[in-house]
Amino acid sequence: MTDFLEVLLRGLGVGSVYALLALGFVIIYKATGVISFAQPALMLTGAVVTSYVAPAIGFMLFTGLTFFVSLGAAALITAVIALIVERLAIRPMIGRPAFVVAIITIGLDIAIRVVASGFIGLGARPIPNPWGLQRTELLGLRVQERHLVSMLALAVIVAALVWFYRYTRYGLAMRAAAFDQEAALTQGVSVGSVFAMSWAMAGALAAIAGTLLATSAGVDRQLWIVALVALPAIILGGLDSLEGAVIGGLAVGVVESMVGSYQRDLAPWLGNNFAGVSPYVLMLLVLLAKPYGIFGTPEVRRV
Amino acid sequence: MKVHKYGVLLAALAMVATGCRAGDDGGGSEAVDAPGVTDDACPDAVNEDNGCIYLGTISDLTQGPFAPLGVPITEAQKAFWNRVNEDGGIGGYDIDTDKFVKDNLYNPQTHKQVYSEIKDDVLALAQSLGSPTTLAIVGDLERDEMIAAPASWTSLWPFEDTILESGAPYCAEAMNIVDYMVENKSIKSVMSVGFPGDFGGDGAAGAKIAADSNSLKYTNVETAPGQEAQAGAISAVVKNKPDLVILGTGPTETAVIVGQAAAQGYQGQFVGLGPAWNPALLGTPSAKALEALYLASGYWGSFGTDTPGHEAMREAVGEVEQENDGYTAGWAWSYPLKAALEEWLDGDYDKTRAGLLEAVGSLETVDYEGMLPEEAGNRAGDPNETIFRQTVLSKVDPKEPAGLALEEDFFSGPTAEGYEFDGPCFEG
Repeated sequence: MTDFLEVLLRGLGVGSVYALLALGFVIIYKATGVISFAQPALMLTGAVVTSYVAPAIGFMLFTGLTFFVSLGAAALITAVIALIVERLAIRPMIGRPAFVVAIITIGLDIAIRVVASGFIGLGARPIPNPWGLQRTELLGLRVQERHLVSMLALAVIVAALVWFYRYTRYGLAMRAAAFDQEAALTQGVSVGSVFAMSWAMAGALAAIAGTLLATSAGVDRQLWIVALVALPAIILGGLDSLEGAVIGGLAVGVVESMVGSYQRDLAPWLGNNFAGVSPYVLMLLVLLAKPYGIFGTPEVRRV
Repeated sequence: MKVHKYGVLLAALAMVATGCRAGDDGGGSEAVDAPGVTDDACPDAVNEDNGCIYLGTISDLTQGPFAPLGVPITEAQKAFWNRVNEDGGIGGYDIDTDKFVKDNLYNPQTHKQVYSEIKDDVLALAQSLGSPTTLAIVGDLERDEMIAAPASWTSLWPFEDTILESGAPYCAEAMNIVDYMVENKSIKSVMSVGFPGDFGGDGAAGAKIAADSNSLKYTNVETAPGQEAQAGAISAVVKNKPDLVILGTGPTETAVIVGQAAAQGYQGQFVGLGPAWNPALLGTPSAKALEALYLASGYWGSFGTDTPGHEAMREAVGEVEQENDGYTAGWAWSYPLKAALEEWLDGDYDKTRAGLLEAVGSLETVDYEGMLPEEAGNRAGDPNETIFRQTVLSKVDPKEPAGLALEEDFFSGPTAEGYEFDGPCFEG
């Protein structure tokens, strides 16, 4: 039982990072109606920025503070990069089919990744952090400290997002634009600003997720691949649901961790590497029962 | 009569000029008639009077998983051929590896496409990076009679006439690792953890052969690339507690598996196949575990090794961003192609690609300037007789260049020595 709970905690730790990534996807989708495939590149960019900022300020702060200050700086810088990308490449495409914009984001992803990879150099860039691979005891369970940090980060960010959407004017504007862009426009909401805001928020979330991921083995050129796991997470949670993104991300992390730990013993006939497939199997199973995802809004059309 | 004299003089001058271009070092004076060979000097030629042989490079240069290796390999090979040119070139020709450099993105389709773009402009490939990518063009190489120096060590290459490999294949490497550990640490169980495909698969096949030969308990665990995809592999290592784990993964996965397995209490021995190591791992939280539990296997000594070849490589590449064994590999892989070109241009071969292929098949030794024994370049004979089976082992030492210090110089264990290579170890 202890082992099971430890595997569960590990899954929640990894799932927290997936959830942060999934939130970024959903925020952009809700605001613009487009899935941004540039999120993996923004995640890589954020982690690369942290890997440069942390050593640069490390001499004057202790490691823990250095990590969080550089994490904040990376979130901010990546948000600005996302804003610029949105303004230059996405805003001019308003009114074009969502499919066209989504394809443009694929191109953006490749371009940004090539630039970000150029800053990585040969091998992985380390991210100084106070935890490394250390484990701690929590209610008798051994858990990696970095996983606890990821869970805590997710909790804080979700609380901040709830506050933002419920109690701020920008949050209200984003909800209005997500609900009906034309109606929001007639009420004086700047839909362009909403687009920009959504890209900035998604960029910041991607940067935080990338940095947390890279605390184990540094930032390498392949880090971006992890962001693809957020796709089954958002689809099973519901493309337009923030709570769905969180639940979906956590579910994918837990399933991946469980399958990775137990499938080899319990169901060896599934072959090697089934853990990598498990998020997609989970997504298919959920879609069979809930075609719009667990929290997704069913699309209703008059015929 | 006067005209006739001038005609004879012109004809004689033309013959002299042709002789200069087509190898004036004796041997083959026949005019070269092969793609990628010109009488005109190379762009930015070191020797303006020499002709030019263009060699192609297809590598992972930007966004593929092996770009951290592809970039230094390519740089080292440019430095290698530049040194050859500074020494006068080969048979009246300079070698150009700058003009036809293509990025394969580590994608077999892209590899095949860029190969078709350059195949008519180059004599041979100075580099074809990756096993699945090179496998995608093996048929084309045979059809075009094109020689390629691979940047990988799968055991399929010795069975391909057009592939000019260097160093032991992964399969023999894994056999040597198991035999070494049996002899020095009396291990009873072996686990191979590796990527699916010929890199992890070839290593795993060798590990299994050696484990069976030594009556050891053997387990194979395939694992996907990615930092967060290693939970299954880590769990398998921690639960099964094998005495030896052979890693056929990338450097990032190596750091995650070794670091997290050690954090969960595993205290056995890890040994990584050559591509599993990168000195940047010493900056990760796994550094201490790597220093304590990890040995790096290799096909020749690491960056800082004391041989004339290593020394020439370090001098030629100069100050580098990171002392990475991609440079070492790129340099070492170039020696057989240099030997083949010398043999082709100096010897009595058709001055065509087919002649070059014939010259490659006649090589019995290659002067690696001490990086590898000369017999490692033997291409004349049955693959089972010519496959080089010796590897080296290095321990992790942050003070050494590339983070590795030699632990055991070239050796081959009884399994690799006795194994009949009647085909590749792994056929996926």
